[in-house]
Amino acid sequence: MNWLAFSQDSYLVAFFLFCIGFISFVFTVAGRKMKTKDPAAHEQKWGRISFSIALLGFVAQLAYFITRWIGGGHIPVSNMYEFMSFLAMMIIGAYIVIFFIYRSYVMGVFALPLAVLIMAYASVFPSEVQPLIPQLDSIWLKIHVTLAAAGEAFFAIGFVAGLMYLIRTVQWDNSSAKRAQRSLEVIMVLIMIIVGFVAVVFGYRSADYEVAIDQRLETVDNQGQINSTIETIMYKMPPLIAPYQGEVKEDQKLLGIKLPLLEAPKWMEGAQAGRKLNTVAWSILSGLLLYGIVRLIIRKPIARALQPLLSGLDPEDLDEISYRANAIGFPVFTLGGLIFAMIWAQIAWSRFWAWDPKEVWALITWLFYSAYLHLRLSRGYIGAKSSWLSVIGFIIVMFTLLGVNLIISGLHSYAGV
Amino acid sequence: MAFQNTKCECGHQNALGTVLCEHCGKPLTEENSSTEILEMRYDGVARKSQKANPGIIDRVWNFFSSVKIAVILIVITLIGASLGTIYPQESQFINLDASIYYKETYGTLGHIYYLLGLSHTYESWWFILLLVMIGASLVICSLDRVLPLYRALHKQKVRKHDQFLKRQRVVVDADLPEGIAGQEALEQIGSALKKKRYRLIAEDGALMAEKNRFSRWGPYINHIGLIIFLLAVLARSIPGWHMEYYAAFPQGTPQPIPDTSYYLQNDKFTVEYYSDEEMPEQFVEEGRIMPKLFETKATLFRCTADCDDPVKEPTLVEVAKHDIRVNDPLEYDGLMVYQYDFDLTPKLVAVKPVLKDASSGEVLGSFEVQMSNTASTYEIGPYTLELKEKYLDFTLDENGEPRTQSPEPNAPAFVFLVRGPGLEAHGEPYMYFPLQKDKLRFKENVLNKDIMQHIIIDVESMNDVTISDSKSYLNVRKDTALPWIWVGAAISMIGLVMGFYWQHRRMWLKLDGNHLVLGAHTNKNWYGLRHEVARVLQEISMEVDSKAIDRGGNKA
Repeated sequence: MNWLAFSQDSYLVAFFLFCIGFISFVFTVAGRKMKTKDPAAHEQKWGRISFSIALLGFVAQLAYFITRWIGGGHIPVSNMYEFMSFLAMMIIGAYIVIFFIYRSYVMGVFALPLAVLIMAYASVFPSEVQPLIPQLDSIWLKIHVTLAAAGEAFFAIGFVAGLMYLIRTVQWDNSSAKRAQRSLEVIMVLIMIIVGFVAVVFGYRSADYEVAIDQRLETVDNQGQINSTIETIMYKMPPLIAPYQGEVKEDQKLLGIKLPLLEAPKWMEGAQAGRKLNTVAWSILSGLLLYGIVRLIIRKPIARALQPLLSGLDPEDLDEISYRANAIGFPVFTLGGLIFAMIWAQIAWSRFWAWDPKEVWALITWLFYSAYLHLRLSRGYIGAKSSWLSVIGFIIVMFTLLGVNLIISGLHSYAGV
Repeated sequence: MAFQNTKCECGHQNALGTVLCEHCGKPLTEENSSTEILEMRYDGVARKSQKANPGIIDRVWNFFSSVKIAVILIVITLIGASLGTIYPQESQFINLDASIYYKETYGTLGHIYYLLGLSHTYESWWFILLLVMIGASLVICSLDRVLPLYRALHKQKVRKHDQFLKRQRVVVDADLPEGIAGQEALEQIGSALKKKRYRLIAEDGALMAEKNRFSRWGPYINHIGLIIFLLAVLARSIPGWHMEYYAAFPQGTPQPIPDTSYYLQNDKFTVEYYSDEEMPEQFVEEGRIMPKLFETKATLFRCTADCDDPVKEPTLVEVAKHDIRVNDPLEYDGLMVYQYDFDLTPKLVAVKPVLKDASSGEVLGSFEVQMSNTASTYEIGPYTLELKEKYLDFTLDENGEPRTQSPEPNAPAFVFLVRGPGLEAHGEPYMYFPLQKDKLRFKENVLNKDIMQHIIIDVESMNDVTISDSKSYLNVRKDTALPWIWVGAAISMIGLVMGFYWQHRRMWLKLDGNHLVLGAHTNKNWYGLRHEVARVLQEISMEVDSKAIDRGGNKA
């Protein structure tokens, strides 16, 4: 049997199960409003069905993980594709754990699409099994990366519950709640941008779009001499923004406009900086476009349109779940994301801490959640305030995982592609 | 300051700042009619920071004992730390002129970044001060709270004031169901609680149940761990506790490790790459090369005699052998050696030229010139060579002055002051280039026009040239505080697990005839507590809605 082929199939199965599960969860909470006969029974029945689908999806993804491990010969958390897939799996895992504590199905209505989005994002990266470079060939790869992801998955559930709390409780008919309304809608736009990014990457990839751009790079070596080299960068989507001192080989046009529109500024160093900036531009444009279309159709803010869907939920429960998920995640993240990370750094790089950007951002994540946990102790930091902190915390987590690799880089750069 | 009566109606004299009577739990500061949920922190015991008429030390103590201050310090630290990741830090480069680098690489913004000192954020005084303040906050916050908490939990009274019970967050205030006697109900509840691992103290018509008290100590144990960790980090600046040395080790010769009595020899360095079959097709097409293994077979020696004698060879005793790999350093007696980098280009190690009489061509003798640790004088026949200058990578700068571009022997040049027959008494300079390409490039025969009429220094054959195969760059470390780092981290972790995965739960029950008053308190996870209360009361067929008995949260 070909383990890797089976593994890829399981991945797809898991992906589609999560998609179906998501739709089923929407029906669970929305159907309660439509069917007036016995809403509680409806929720109970469909909640159970949806949860079973999510559980099946989790099993399928676990099968992907195990077979890829066997087929590839090392634990599949060694590059971005594998790590993001693993994170998605852990988020569903964390959802299942929280379910068994609180017996609340409805978290799935947001947890599943989050996992779907992360899996789709993972697929943007090359999915072939890569051999391990010596730096990663360590038992700590297994322990540090998996445990850090597990902690972050609980933070993700904290985020999901927090976001649901905010959508559920924000007052739309109260003009003094304008700030809360606007901030919440900004989060919706942000989510649309991520969706837009995944959509654009997938669209151009299935169209096999590729264009080569030559970039002239000047580096000053330690003898003070300027070395000029030409590096060819492959753009997988039309170059709205060319790299600094880049030249597009063939003429590119989009809707009749000649590309590129702009050139990346000089301070964006690194061979891939221009390409990344172009991707960011595409994501924002497509995200805003998507958001505009949705707004045109529903004719009200997205968060407002979602509110009736969640009206049956108890905000206090959401608040409690959000706090609990973060509190469960915190020690796991401390151990996996900081302590084991330090032990591995000591073994591989000879020092447990070197203020590498990834390390600093892991520390920032940790400091943020410790501030959150201390604030929870004081009166008044429940409900909306606490939920906002959960949302911001998860944004910091995602920046640590993706932003640092995409924007700042550093020693963890090999985890990039 | 307003007068405050600290004597409770039960007769107990409480310390100033006490919120709830330490004896019976009755609220001391509020009106009796209030039904608001009680502030149960440290069970209302007075803290040191709540002292009246604070002096300077008290004020400092009060400042650092505030959780609000702690949170503000944490937030400032995290913002400060994030600033340091905008551009690479200076510490990530070896030999960097920061005053030029940031301006050249990142333009004006980079220069401002450098001028603000953000290019060394984590070594700057304000960042270290923040860490020290967090340390102070950890100590003082913990001490300020752990003592009152201990006092509150050490001696608890079973029978509490009615107001104390009814103003808990979880309250059941109801008549017992028909057909069950008061005492019987208490016993049944008690045995149900026992099954849930509660410890019970019963008094006539009253019951107190408590479990997982240890979890209350979790945060303090965590803080102790963090303090040990921070102290261990600070201890690294103690002289001799922390050593770091980074150097190239050419194959085959033991090299001294500075400030230690150790010598390390690179016996053999290997680098392996993945074959095309082992890599994904796409990588092969892209022509990517992926390393599979970096390995230095190394031998560690201890120098036992003649270590600092420049003339004699040191006496070396082998103490350890290890195959150093990226994730597998050599460790010996607190010394750790890590694989860091490598260089496969052959490098000149030594040359053994001969000294010839220029007119007769007669060989007067040979001498060995080492690239590193070059001897300062050589005696060959009637001539004496004194080493004046050494340039391992010779070049001329814009002013025409000789200098070396790097410490690597790419273009070595030696200036000898030669004394001997036919030469001027105070000696004449001879500029010697061992490599043929350099002889031509820098015109050796023109530079040494005069002296070359008397003597010529040259290599006879390639056998007289020693070249190393490869070099391994190794990182040698000593970190005496390291075990304490791990001890601190472990203690902190134990504290976190205690505090977050268990919750301290207490229930107080009081019977008044057929009427039951139950108050329950926990520090976390109210959901779990109220469900436990509801389930326990089911034992006596008393149905309560677990949601309804919880008066907390924001009932918006």
